[in-house]
Amino acid sequence: MQFRLILAALVAAPLAVSASISSVPGALPDSVGVPTAPAPAGRVSPSNPLPWYRPNHVVLQTGGGLGMIAGGAGFSLKDRLDLDILIGYVPEKYAGSALSLASAKLIYSPWSLPLHDKLTLKPLSVGGYFSYTHGTINDEEPDQYQPGYYWFSTDTRVGPLLGSRLSYALPATASGRSRNLSAYYEFSTNDLYIVSYVQNRRGLSPADILTLSLGLKLDI
Amino acid sequence: MVLLLGGCQLVEFSPNQAYVPTQERGLTRQQLTRLQTAPAPDDTIRFVFVGDTQRFYDETEAFVASVNQQPGIDFVLIGGDISDFGLTREFRWVHQRLRLLSVPYLTVIGNHDLVGNGRAVYQEVYGPLNYTFRYQGTQFICLDTNGREYGFNHKVPDVAWLQQQLTDTAGTRQTVVVSHVPPQDEDFDPAVVPAYTAALRGCNRLVFHLGAHIHRFTVGQPYQDGVTYLTTYSLQKKRYHILTVWGQRKYRLQTVTYGLDW
Repeated sequence: MQFRLILAALVAAPLAVSASISSVPGALPDSVGVPTAPAPAGRVSPSNPLPWYRPNHVVLQTGGGLGMIAGGAGFSLKDRLDLDILIGYVPEKYAGSALSLASAKLIYSPWSLPLHDKLTLKPLSVGGYFSYTHGTINDEEPDQYQPGYYWFSTDTRVGPLLGSRLSYALPATASGRSRNLSAYYEFSTNDLYIVSYVQNRRGLSPADILTLSLGLKLDI
Repeated sequence: MVLLLGGCQLVEFSPNQAYVPTQERGLTRQQLTRLQTAPAPDDTIRFVFVGDTQRFYDETEAFVASVNQQPGIDFVLIGGDISDFGLTREFRWVHQRLRLLSVPYLTVIGNHDLVGNGRAVYQEVYGPLNYTFRYQGTQFICLDTNGREYGFNHKVPDVAWLQQQLTDTAGTRQTVVVSHVPPQDEDFDPAVVPAYTAALRGCNRLVFHLGAHIHRFTVGQPYQDGVTYLTTYSLQKKRYHILTVWGQRKYRLQTVTYGLDW
């Protein structure tokens, strides 16, 4: 039953977030936690901004359908919106062929709750991902099938994700930017699992289609 | 740490991954062991034949409930397309239901099972793509006929292997060949059709050739050579066949229609 709630939250969270922004003009989403506290995880000092093309953080994770191990870098906007680009790998032993995955995750974390002078919790992260898998055994040669033979893509997946993140404040950089080391988990699923679930709601439960990823994020 | 988490399948490396818990590996061998421990008392074999369980999990539960009410069934034969997307979780979802059959079940690989890394998944979950078993004097030859999935490389189906099995007559009174794509279909490698049908024609112990893929019942001798080709329903049609074979190439075909008993 709690898994149904999780799935409902997966769908409802982005709506609720956008609703709260539009219905309370002037109230910043992160003011929900402790309105007067200065954000301890403030990412960029205004006097010393990163050039736009420089990633704000590096990422390392496992699972979530994005690789046994996946690493990459990402950009942050106002400490709330993250775009992470990952390259993942699954050894042949676990997939029948060695798989390389390229993926992009867009994650929105509206709230930051300071727990301690160095610890900050982002209780909710919602978003979506896109992944492309290279190296499958049956790689669909151009003339192998007539168009539409399989209605789905065998190598491109998309899906929603939902999780939380815990950040630990590290000493600031020499140039004065604050830095965090964060650990996160994300529950996600993919388009093909969702189709399977929607058509078999008696036989499958939302728990059947969930995957879990665990990762670390380090500001640079 | 990573390996530990991977073992619990929730931390999924890729939907195309191809490994399952040890007890879910090599199901063909497991099911055959089960079959041979309780052989039929005579040479009459009764088995259920249905195809294409792909993405019909609710329907699979109803199918299992119906088959478990049938008396005197020796085993169930699934004519391929166990999965729809060739993904490990789909194979597991199907097995979680078919394992509740009161009799063993055996499979042949379908074209959807070869999508992505499905070939490796099938090998991990079930076993070899081409295999045979003998039950009460009847030899069953199950083979991969999904030529299009290999880009019509003229190697699938493996006719040389089929020939070899057909000539292995020790202890065999009659033979049944089980495939997913029948040779009349355009997904069968056209260059292999003549050799394949000739091999079947040359076997005077052949009862019939079974297929699925086209999701409907057909029976006939499309090559006018005395070889009977039969295709069965997809599981979604809520129909399946019970085939009874005995004596020398004698068989009876029954169709069972069932509803969702929810």
